[in-house]
Amino acid sequence: MATVPAEYALALAAVLFALGLTGVLVRRNMIYVLMSIEVMLNAAGLAFIAAGYRWAEPDGQVMFVFILTLAAAEVSVALAVIFRFFHRTGTLDLDKVGSLKG
Amino acid sequence: MSATDLVAILPMLVLTMAAVAATVLAAFRTSHAFNAALAVSAFALALFSLVPASNAAPRAVTALISVDAYSLLFTGLLLGAAIAVTLFSYGYNEGREGGLAEFYIVLLIATLGAIVLAVSAHVATFFLGLEILGVSLYVLIASDLGERANEASIKYLILAGIASSFLVFGMALVYTELGTMEFSEMARRTGESGAGPLLLAGLAMITVAAGFKLAAAPFHMWAPDVYEGAPAPVGAFLAAVSKGAVAALLLRFFLQTGSLALHPLFIVFGAVAVASMFTGNILALFQTSIKRTLAYSSIAHVGYLLIAFLAGGRAGMVAAGYYLAAYFVSIIGAFGAVTLLSGKDRELDLLDDYRGLAWQRPWLAGAFAAMLLSLAGMPLTAGFLGKFFVAAAGVREALWFFVIAFAINSAIAVYYYLRIITVLFSPSYGEAPGPLPRLPLAGTVALGALTLLLVFLGVYPGPLLALLEEAASAFL
Repeated sequence: MATVPAEYALALAAVLFALGLTGVLVRRNMIYVLMSIEVMLNAAGLAFIAAGYRWAEPDGQVMFVFILTLAAAEVSVALAVIFRFFHRTGTLDLDKVGSLKG
Repeated sequence: MSATDLVAILPMLVLTMAAVAATVLAAFRTSHAFNAALAVSAFALALFSLVPASNAAPRAVTALISVDAYSLLFTGLLLGAAIAVTLFSYGYNEGREGGLAEFYIVLLIATLGAIVLAVSAHVATFFLGLEILGVSLYVLIASDLGERANEASIKYLILAGIASSFLVFGMALVYTELGTMEFSEMARRTGESGAGPLLLAGLAMITVAAGFKLAAAPFHMWAPDVYEGAPAPVGAFLAAVSKGAVAALLLRFFLQTGSLALHPLFIVFGAVAVASMFTGNILALFQTSIKRTLAYSSIAHVGYLLIAFLAGGRAGMVAAGYYLAAYFVSIIGAFGAVTLLSGKDRELDLLDDYRGLAWQRPWLAGAFAAMLLSLAGMPLTAGFLGKFFVAAAGVREALWFFVIAFAINSAIAVYYYLRIITVLFSPSYGEAPGPLPRLPLAGTVALGALTLLLVFLGVYPGPLLALLEEAASAFL
């Protein structure tokens, strides 16, 4: 079976990370921003898998499982907080988080 | 995992079991007093369990956790801070709806995350600890049902999410280059092979994340808003426990991996230190909100602390430890004073609200002033000795540029601390704001104890220094 070099996977992870970061910076809707953060986290997970593959160790995959778990925890709490904000203001626009300065 | 291993991590086990027990007990509609007492006794028990743990130390519990004099000392500091925060929270939350079990459960879990950071010897525990702490903080910040706390929580969680992704991606790059995730092993391999571009990129991304958690400039933008919007005791927790745990981990990471010897990283951290000092102190001059002032002041304090990191070595480690302890006492005390005066339906935050406080509440105003003087670094307070040790460590390593920046900033900082103190002691004019509410007992006791500790650390540094020396010999 032909193998894919670890560098390719790493490059893909870097592209995904950059895409996620662009999403965070460009989008104003909280749900999209949250999704973009998820993309960044998963890009990091992919990078870990590539690194584990390079060293032929299971550690990278273990880290990936940790990242998945914590991303899920993070999103569930974040959605609860955002839901309360939506309930109060009826908007998901990040720019409306305004009563606090800068 | 042997029995000795379990004893060594007993403080963490105690907190975990307490959190589970509190979750189960919450089903029985427990009272607020019960929940708070449960949290305080869990923290106290964890603090007590440091004694058997220290008998088992030094010990590496798997590759992930290292229990030694260093991590035990910081665990103790974090637990002490958590007790103080819980005592302040009790008075602050009194009268709010429900038993507030969740607030104390999340506080237990957040402290657990902070301790995991302090004992971490591996990239995986670094990440896990930071996330346990971070996700709990989203909840704690939003625990006040008001609009501002909600918005502060959103702001924090989005920025913290970005910071976490930078952290894990940076970790992945470091792992790609070095092939290990243990701090001690990373040091050895860096020494052998030198630093490649992937390693530097990874360390830079980790720096961004750590800078965010420490609220060091230029990653400090969130801090004033979040500190202001969060409930006052949570502000104390953010400023002390969250920041202190990351600082403890970073200090171990740098001392153990020696990565500050890498020239680019030294320059980056030097720039961050100077930027934090100037940004924090200069922006603090213009604030009219006490919590925002404290937020900017805590940004500046990270800058001071980083000078001790840059100095490195034994002296730098001891200085950083003493500085952190002094900072813990003063910043929790200062937020504590704000907490005592705030409550269910009011948040005493504007500088003008404090005008003439000394004539109505002389003891409270005195304790608050003592905390501010310590933050400013006046002699006879803990803050003075902390600053003294940091400056001494800087001079020892001939970091003249940083020592001079440190001196200039200490001078700027005196102005805004003294401004608050002047307001506290100036005669109040206009109509009296009405009788102040009774002070909650638990918080008052905590503030009194912190004030005593402040003076004790300021005039009698011996015991803490001995502990720090012992901690430094754990890996130096």
